[in-house]
Amino acid sequence: MTLQIQNLGRRVGQQWIVRQLNLQVDDGECVALVGPSGCGKSSTLRLIAGLDAVSEGEIFFDQTKVTHAMAAQRAVGMVFQSYALLPHLSVTANLELGLRVRGVRPSDRQQRIQAMLDLVQLQDRADVLPAQLSGGQRQRVALARALLRDPEVYLLDEPMSNLDAQLREELRPELRRLVLNRQKPVIHVTHDQHEAMAIADRIAVLHSGRIQQVATPAELYHHPETLFIAKFIGRPQINCLRPSNGVVCAVRPESLTFASEGIPCKLISREWLGSSQLLYLDSPQGPLRLSCSTAVDIPETIHVSWKASDEHHFDAASGIRLP
Amino acid sequence: MIALLLVPALLLLVVVFVGPLFRYAWLSFHADSVITGLIAISNGGANWLRLVQDQRYWQDLFQTLRFAGVSVGLELVLALLIALLLDQRWRGRDVVRTLALIPWALPTTVMALGWRWIFNTPYGPVDHLTKIIGLGSLNILGDPSLTWMATVWADVWKTTPFAALILLAGLQTIPGDLYEALRLEGGNALICLRRITLPLLRPYILLALLFRLAQAFGVFDLIQVLTGGGPASSTESIALYAYWNALRFLDFGYSATIIMASFILISLICVIAWIALQLIIPTHSKSRGAVSS
Amino acid sequence: MSTNIFLRRFFAGIFAVFICSALFGLAQARIVESVSILMAAPFADATQDLVNQFNKEYRGKINLRVIRGPLETEAMSDLAISSLLLGKAPFDVLLMDVTWLPKYAAAGWMVPLENNFNTQDVESLAKGAREGNSYNGHLYRWPLTSDMGLLYYRTDLMDRPPETPEDLVSVSQSLQKDQKVEWGYVWQGRQYEGLSCVYLEMIDGFGGDWLQPKSNQIGLNSKPGIEAAAWLQSLIDQGVSPKAVTNYAEPEALQSFKVGDAAFMRNWPYAWAELQKTDSAVKGNVGITTMVAKPGYSTATLGSWGLTVLKGSSHIDASIEAIRFLTSESSQKQLFQKYGYTPTMQNVFDDPQLLKESPILAEFGKAQQVVKPRPETPLYAQISDVLQRQLSGILTNEQSPQLGMNVAAVNTDQILISAGDRS
Repeated sequence: MTLQIQNLGRRVGQQWIVRQLNLQVDDGECVALVGPSGCGKSSTLRLIAGLDAVSEGEIFFDQTKVTHAMAAQRAVGMVFQSYALLPHLSVTANLELGLRVRGVRPSDRQQRIQAMLDLVQLQDRADVLPAQLSGGQRQRVALARALLRDPEVYLLDEPMSNLDAQLREELRPELRRLVLNRQKPVIHVTHDQHEAMAIADRIAVLHSGRIQQVATPAELYHHPETLFIAKFIGRPQINCLRPSNGVVCAVRPESLTFASEGIPCKLISREWLGSSQLLYLDSPQGPLRLSCSTAVDIPETIHVSWKASDEHHFDAASGIRLP
Repeated sequence: MIALLLVPALLLLVVVFVGPLFRYAWLSFHADSVITGLIAISNGGANWLRLVQDQRYWQDLFQTLRFAGVSVGLELVLALLIALLLDQRWRGRDVVRTLALIPWALPTTVMALGWRWIFNTPYGPVDHLTKIIGLGSLNILGDPSLTWMATVWADVWKTTPFAALILLAGLQTIPGDLYEALRLEGGNALICLRRITLPLLRPYILLALLFRLAQAFGVFDLIQVLTGGGPASSTESIALYAYWNALRFLDFGYSATIIMASFILISLICVIAWIALQLIIPTHSKSRGAVSS
Repeated sequence: MSTNIFLRRFFAGIFAVFICSALFGLAQARIVESVSILMAAPFADATQDLVNQFNKEYRGKINLRVIRGPLETEAMSDLAISSLLLGKAPFDVLLMDVTWLPKYAAAGWMVPLENNFNTQDVESLAKGAREGNSYNGHLYRWPLTSDMGLLYYRTDLMDRPPETPEDLVSVSQSLQKDQKVEWGYVWQGRQYEGLSCVYLEMIDGFGGDWLQPKSNQIGLNSKPGIEAAAWLQSLIDQGVSPKAVTNYAEPEALQSFKVGDAAFMRNWPYAWAELQKTDSAVKGNVGITTMVAKPGYSTATLGSWGLTVLKGSSHIDASIEAIRFLTSESSQKQLFQKYGYTPTMQNVFDDPQLLKESPILAEFGKAQQVVKPRPETPLYAQISDVLQRQLSGILTNEQSPQLGMNVAAVNTDQILISAGDRS
C-alpha cells in the first residue's frame, strides 16, 4: 500500500490551512509531520482521515482516489492526542464499539478483542473504565482500537504528547512493535523532534501550511533546506551569525571547537548536561552556543573556530539554503 | 474555617426552605381557618384523614402527574433536538439561540393570557387553523378531554428553551474527537447519538428532568390564567388546590396538609425518575464488559 | 396682697395652659392625615378625578392616596388577603367585592361602620344597594357602585326582549335559522365565580334558592336547581350557545356579542359602555333587561363594590370622610357620566337630568330592584367552588344535571357542617 498526496490544500474562509502539499508514504514507512503549533500538521492528518473536506488536490490509497470518500470508507487507523476513549465504557466496550458498528459477528469480536488485549498487555484491565487507567495504558487502548480497525494507513496525532518524558521513551519501542512493523504507511504528527527522529524514517517539516522539506532525519539535520528547518531541527539550537551581504551563516553548537586563534569569546553561562555541557558565549559575531564533552577543560581566554564545511549558508531574505 | 464560610448559605436554606417546611408540617396537624378565627387549634390527624378521603385531591394529583409527565417528557425530547441543532454551526445560529429564550423569559401569566387568546374558540387563530385543516372547531379550552393538552402545550412552549439551554451546555462539554473516532469506524449520526451523546449527556438530562419535574409538579399560574382549573376541574393542579384552600377559603390547616403531602410525593417521584433514567440510558457496562444492545 | 398675688398667679397659670393647648391644637392641625385605599385597577383609574377633588378640598387635613391593584377580581382578592395575612394592612381602606364580606368579617379584618352611617344614610340607598353591606348585624362597607347581572339583547333583531327561558331559546333559534346571528346567547360558562353568578340568576328564575338565608336550606338539588343547570346545559346542546361558552368569562362573551355574532349576552353594566364604543359592531342596537325567568321570578346577581375600613388603620375618621366623599351624590353622578358606573343612591337613579342624558339608567334602576346577593357565609368561596366544579361538569357533559347538582348539594352540606353552621 502506498499513500500518495498530490497538491493537497484546505481553505477555511479566506485562509489556507494547508496548501500545495505533496507527500508519498510507502508500505512500512513512517513519516513524521513536524512543525510549530498551527503549521497545519494536524489538519493534514484530518484531511487524510477524511474528517475534514479537501479544498484542492488529491489523496490516493494505492491507485484508489479517496479524496472525497467518507471517513469510514478509507480504512485508516487513527490515534488521537486525547485518545478519544468513551469515558462511560469499559476498555473492552470501547474496543468493541467499532467492531459492532462495522458489523463484526459477536463471537469474532470477543476473540479479536482478547487477542488485541493480549498484544497490548492489558488483559487484566479489560473491564476497567478509562478513568481508572494510567496515561500509558489509555494510549495502548487507543492504539489497540486503531489496530482492530485493520487499517490500510495509520495516522498518529501526537499520540504521546500527553505522557511524561520518561513514559514517552518507554513507549517508543512499543509503538514500533505494534504499528511500525505492520508494513503499512504510518504518518506520525508530533511537535517533539526527538520523537520524530527516533521513530520516523523520514520527517516532513511544515511551516504555515506548506511542507518545507521531506527527508531522513540525518539529511534534515545536516542539509536543512531552509533557515527555519535549521533552527527547528537540532537541540541545542543552531548558531546564526550576524548576516553579512544578505547571507546568514549558521553553525551547529557541536561543530564549534576551542582554538588558540579564532573568534574571541566571553563565557556567559554554562549548562551541565551529563554527557556534554553547553556553553553560552558572547562574541563579536553575536551570542554563540558551544556544545562539548564534559571532559574538555575550558581555557582561560576563549577563542572558538569551526570547519568551513560545517557552515550552512542561507539567503537572509528568503531563508533558502545557498549552495 | 471552611465550615464557617458555609454558614450564610445554610442560614438562607433554613430560612427559605426548611423553616416553611417545618411550619407546614406543624400546621398540617392543626385546624387554622376562617372557622377557627384564623387561630391554629390542634386537631390530630383530621387534616390527613380528610386528605386521604378527598377524591378531589386524588383527581388533582392524577391530573398534575399527567401534566408533569407528559409535558416534561415532550420537553426533554424537543429540548434535545433543539440543543443538537443549536450545537451545530450554521449561519444565524446565535440569533436563533437568543430568540429561542424568549418564551422562557416571558412572564407566565402574560404567556398564559396569550395562549388563552390563541386557543379561543371561535376567534383565536388555532380555531381558524383547525377549521382549515378539516378538524373543525375543536373548543380546545372548553372540552375536558382537550383542555389539559392545551396546558401541556403552553408549558412545553414556555419551558423547552430552559431544558434546551441545560442540554446545550452539556453538549458543549463532549469532546469532538469522540465523535470523530466513531465516524472513522463508520458510525452514523444515530449511532453517535445513542453511543456518545445520550450517555455523556445523562447528568444534564437528569438535571433538566429533576428541575422540570419539580417545577411542573407545582404548576400554578399557567393553569390559573389559562383555564382556572376547568372545565369540570379537568386541569386543576395540586398547587392550585392548595392555593385556593389558603387564599380563597382561608383554610390554612388543610392547605398545609396538601402542600406537605405533595412535598413528600414530589420527592418520591424525583427519586423514581432518577432511577428510571439510570435504566433507560445505560451507564458503564462494567459487569457485562460489553455494550448492551 | 397675698390674695392678689395668688390670683395673679392663678390667671397666669390658666393663661399658660391656654397658650399651650392652643399651640398643641395648632400643631395637631398641621399634621396631615394620610389615607390610602387599595382598589382594582379600573376603579383606581376611574376615581382619579374624585381623589384629586378630595385632596384639593381637604388640603392640609387629609391626603388621600389610591393604590392601583390588579385588573381582575380574583387577583385583587388574592392581593388583599395576602397583605392582610401579613398583619397590619398597608392601607386603610379596601374596595371590596360583595362576596368577600362575610369571610373578612369572620377573620376580623374590618371596622364596623354602623356608628358612622345612620338609618337616613341607609335609606338614601337604592333597594339593591342596601344588600350585601352587613354581616351578623354589623355594617362593614359602604357601596361605591352597584353591579348586577343583566341580559343584553339586540334591538335591531327583536321588538322586545324575551322574558322566559323558553322565549329566549325560541327567539334565538329562529334568528339562528334565518342566519341573522351565529349564536343565540353568550354567557359565562368558564369554571370560575362568574358561572355561580349565571347560575344564581337561573335557579332563582326557576323559583328556587341556592341557599336560603334564614334556614340555610340548600336548594341546588331541588327541582328548580336541577332545571336551571339543565337549561344552561341545553343551551349548548341545542346550539343556542357555542360549545366554547364552557371557557367563556366576561371578555369572551363580550367579544362575541360586540362583533354581532350573538343575539343575547349575560353581562354586568360595564359592558354597556364597551358596546357604545366606535369599534362595536352593534353600537346603537343594544338593549338591556333583566334575566329571563319564570314570570315573576326575574333576578339579577348582586355584584356591587364597596369601601371598607380595615382594622389596624389609625385614620378611621379620615377614612370615613374619604368614603363619604367618594360615595356622595355628586361623585356618583360623575362616575356614571364619565365611566358608566351604576349609582347606589336612589336620588341619582331618579335624577331627571341624568335620565335624559342616558335613558339606559332607568334599566339599571329596574334591574337593581331585583338584585339578589350570593349566599352570605364566610364559607362562600368553598360552596361557590363546589358549585362551579359540578356545573362545569354538567355543561361539558361529564355528568347529568341531576347527578351533578346532587353532588354539589352534598358537598355544600359537608362544608357547612364542618363549619358548625348546621347540625
